[in-house]
Amino acid sequence: MASQADRHALYEQAVQDPQRDVNFFSRVYRRMRGHEPLRLREDFCGTAALCHAWAESMPERTAIGVDLCQDTMDWGWRRRIAPAGDELASRVSLIRADVREVRSPKVDLACGLNFSYQCFKTRAELREYFEAVRAGLDKDGLFFIDLLGGMESMIEGVTDQDHGDFIYRWEQARFNVRTHDFLCYIHFVFPDGSELRRAFTYDWRLWTAPELSELLREAGFSKVHFFWEKTDPDGEGTGVFYEPAFVENQEIWWTYMAAET
Amino acid sequence: MRHKKKKNRMHMPKSMAQEADRHALYQQSVQSPEADVEFFTERFEQLRNRPALRLREDFCGTALLATTWCESDPERTAVGVDLDGATLGWGREHNLAPAEPGVRERVELIEADVRAAEAAPVDITCAMNFSYCVFKTRDELRGYFEAARRGLKDDGIFIAELYGGTEAIDILEEERELDDFTYVWEQAMFNPLDHSTTCHIHFDFPDGSRLKNAFTYEWRLWTIPELRELLLEAGFQEVRIFWEEVEEDDDDDDDDDNDDDMLSGTGEYVEVTELDENQESWLVYLIALA
Repeated sequence: MASQADRHALYEQAVQDPQRDVNFFSRVYRRMRGHEPLRLREDFCGTAALCHAWAESMPERTAIGVDLCQDTMDWGWRRRIAPAGDELASRVSLIRADVREVRSPKVDLACGLNFSYQCFKTRAELREYFEAVRAGLDKDGLFFIDLLGGMESMIEGVTDQDHGDFIYRWEQARFNVRTHDFLCYIHFVFPDGSELRRAFTYDWRLWTAPELSELLREAGFSKVHFFWEKTDPDGEGTGVFYEPAFVENQEIWWTYMAAET
Repeated sequence: MRHKKKKNRMHMPKSMAQEADRHALYQQSVQSPEADVEFFTERFEQLRNRPALRLREDFCGTALLATTWCESDPERTAVGVDLDGATLGWGREHNLAPAEPGVRERVELIEADVRAAEAAPVDITCAMNFSYCVFKTRDELRGYFEAARRGLKDDGIFIAELYGGTEAIDILEEERELDDFTYVWEQAMFNPLDHSTTCHIHFDFPDGSRLKNAFTYEWRLWTIPELRELLLEAGFQEVRIFWEEVEEDDDDDDDDDNDDDMLSGTGEYVEVTELDENQESWLVYLIALA
């Protein structure tokens, strides 16, 4: 089964929830800016699932996806965007480029999700990326990233998530306490015992929340917001986010930050 | 009745906590100045090929380390800097006054902000017990590191202590038994959004009394890469990291119900290069070369 598997399809199924992102970003934008965001930029877009969901959500919406990997963008175009029809496809453009090089056209919303910005391991590189995003945002633009933390984010370990027809396996293979270098893999395991090992490899620096706040401000963003997911009495996420000043640390958490131009 | 009650209270013996001297307890439970002096001496010789003679102890409190430094060698001098005049006064009375006159004369104490204190250049400046974590912004901490660098001789070194690990970013209470009392370290608050943390030291006594919040710290828990970046921004040439080697602790096992391996420090420090895996709890020295 592993040899038949399509790693991009598995990734979309296991990791992404583009409708949730579209809804969440739109809601926050409307609340802060009082009007509907129409233009989105998805950095590190990969298969551009979010661009697709964005364009699909409203006929006035346009999306730009930026990624270094042409093959992955081609996969998304072929599998998702082209089949959605010429009208939708005309509102999506995918650009093969370094995300730090793209500063136009201006958009309302930009995002760098799935922690991909963590490939920038120095403050100078990450600040340069944030500056590029800010330059590409309109004057009332918003930039969203997600981040990962908690006690167990800084150690080695493996977590499995059963998706029925496969297991999504997240491996934190190495965390270097001196540098916060963070080496992770995604593996997919199938019911027949076969395994798609290291379907994806991430060589990151695990940036902390205060570091990201500081760098966003240094890059010229005027205000930084943290969001935190409300949990139900059993401790399960509810999909509702609020803005806390203080949270208790947890074993593992991921959340969104938004920065205002 | 009322009178009698009052009289009774007056004659009530004080609890051990009420009698206790928090500075003496702190020195006993937290500090190991001889080990620090030995570590500083060895590292400086190794890095600079000459003996270290002059030490500056920032956030010195009772100046126990500065005093111990001068006791270790008649050639040595020290300067201690702290904002708190009362604590410096305690140190003068309990650490400096009992020392040999020759030692006393070689220790200078300055009541000032560590960023502003002026003293003759030193070989080593140290910031122990994480005190620099009171500086919560990059600008403030860089400002302190710049001041520390300005106070060094051309080949001086700056040594700062940091704790971390997966338990450092959690709330917890940890006890350590000493001969006459129990030292309690409480991490009361950690906020992952800004890494601010509130910690307390309490002391518990055999009569059941507690000296609660003997010391309270409002810090930002910085990470190793953040400190390295700020030290380099402040003009230091290079940053090296040492941590204490640990071994399994057999002594503590009897009253411990869980089977977790208790690790205790060996007093031997190794440079952290390959041994870079995270742990539940660690303590490192960062050494910055001017």
